[in-house]
Amino acid sequence: MAASMQIRRSSASLRGEDSLIRKLPVVSKYIDTTTCIGCKACEVACQEWNDLKVVKTEQTGTYQTMPTLHAEYWNLIKFSEHDLGDSLAWLMRKDQCMHCADPGCLKACPAPGAIVQYANGIVDVNPDKCIGCGMCQTGCPFDVPRFHEKTAKMSKCSLCVDRVEVGLEPACVKSCPTGCLHFGTKEAMLELADTRLLQLRANGFTNAAVYDPKGVGGTTVVTVLAHGDHPEWYGLPKDPHIPLGVRFAKSILKPLGLIAIFGAVAGMFGHYLRSGPKEPHEPPPGGADQSGTTKETRP
Amino acid sequence: MSEIAPHAVSAGDPAVIAARTQEDVAVGNEIVRHRLSSRVMHWTVALAFMLTLITGMPIWTPIFSWMAFLVGGLHVCRWLHPWSGAAFFVGMLWMLIHWLASMKLAEVDKKWLSPTAIIKYLNYPETDQQTGKYNGGQKLFFYVVVIDAVLLFATGFVLWWPSFFPQAVREPSIPLHDIAFLLFVVSIIGHVYLGTAAFPGTFGSMMRGTVTRAWARLHHPKWYRDVTGDKRS
Repeated sequence: MAASMQIRRSSASLRGEDSLIRKLPVVSKYIDTTTCIGCKACEVACQEWNDLKVVKTEQTGTYQTMPTLHAEYWNLIKFSEHDLGDSLAWLMRKDQCMHCADPGCLKACPAPGAIVQYANGIVDVNPDKCIGCGMCQTGCPFDVPRFHEKTAKMSKCSLCVDRVEVGLEPACVKSCPTGCLHFGTKEAMLELADTRLLQLRANGFTNAAVYDPKGVGGTTVVTVLAHGDHPEWYGLPKDPHIPLGVRFAKSILKPLGLIAIFGAVAGMFGHYLRSGPKEPHEPPPGGADQSGTTKETRP
Repeated sequence: MSEIAPHAVSAGDPAVIAARTQEDVAVGNEIVRHRLSSRVMHWTVALAFMLTLITGMPIWTPIFSWMAFLVGGLHVCRWLHPWSGAAFFVGMLWMLIHWLASMKLAEVDKKWLSPTAIIKYLNYPETDQQTGKYNGGQKLFFYVVVIDAVLLFATGFVLWWPSFFPQAVREPSIPLHDIAFLLFVVSIIGHVYLGTAAFPGTFGSMMRGTVTRAWARLHHPKWYRDVTGDKRS
């Protein structure tokens, strides 16, 4: 968490969106899955720069370091294999936080300021504010945030925001030997992707596409897929959205619930003003009305 | 049933104090409505509920962030809310066992099974002379809060330990926990209002255990007749 960056949006904030004084260009990481050789240099660079502890690798019979992301492993080259009939597709995709323009984690987070989106589009966890509830993992359409057992906080890729804010590229990009990773403004990265798509299509990958799903407002990480019509082959959801349950709870139930609670209090108060208390109005039994020694209602 | 004449003793009389550990007995002008164990149970559940409420509301929306400061911040809430919620759930099970037998719906309570029943009730109609110790609304409230507590605990358990549940279980748990919470809070707002400001003497029944004969005749006529033997309706 680099506190010196301008914040565009903050979790559990009643403030409206986008209160920026100065507009900054949105940055982007370009991932070309077609030129990734699965060397894992980016995984090592990520561990090293972010000072993450060694996580035990797990061999599952593929070219993948471990089955899934981990609280101390934010960047994982996912491997999958597809029989295309006459040939075999070996697909390597760099799995990490997608830094959505409309982040589900940020929407789901109940702790003010625990997840922020900086002016340049990077989505980051602020461990100081994080309460470790895990809601962000439920809100994420890509299942990225992970609970850290030791710190009891959530953690995920920060797009090396501490490097980016001083003008450096993320550690993974710096380490990539094949040039399949690039970093720059989103505009520039989409241009680069378009150039690459032309090449891929000329080479026979007619369905090649850029993965920049509109359902989450686009992602700060843009991914070039040779089989763009089948993002699920790469382990990517076809049309990701913030989960319905999270949107329903945050956008509909919350305002309705506040109306219900304050309405109930106001309703009871109004009822008292109109009807007052219900008290006995009959003469008390046993002739106490004559003696006057017995009170029928409590003070 | 007491042999003491209605006005021979007052609220502070030793006979009344002694009777407060019993239930459904008339001592002088006082009738013991809730024995000591009922009151301890009620306030245990209420305390656990209040603690769960003030630690849950700031997690629900930052409008109630200030509640978090009462327990030391949102981080404490994340830890305390599930535990006090579990205590509240156990308390509700205690309540279920303690009061279930008293909550069987009688014929006179059936008219409460209408959505407008509570509106009619708030217009202060004459109490049905067959109304027993608990009216239909109180019985329905009992079932609603017990069932709601089960829903709160089931969804809350998922939110407590998200790592143990798949996305398909975690996702619906968030809105379901909210719906169950809202149903509970709105019910409790009504419960607190009716139990204090709206019906004077009711709060005392849960504090000191006793109500006056007049209160009993007004709100629970059949219970009054059963306890006192007074046949007037």
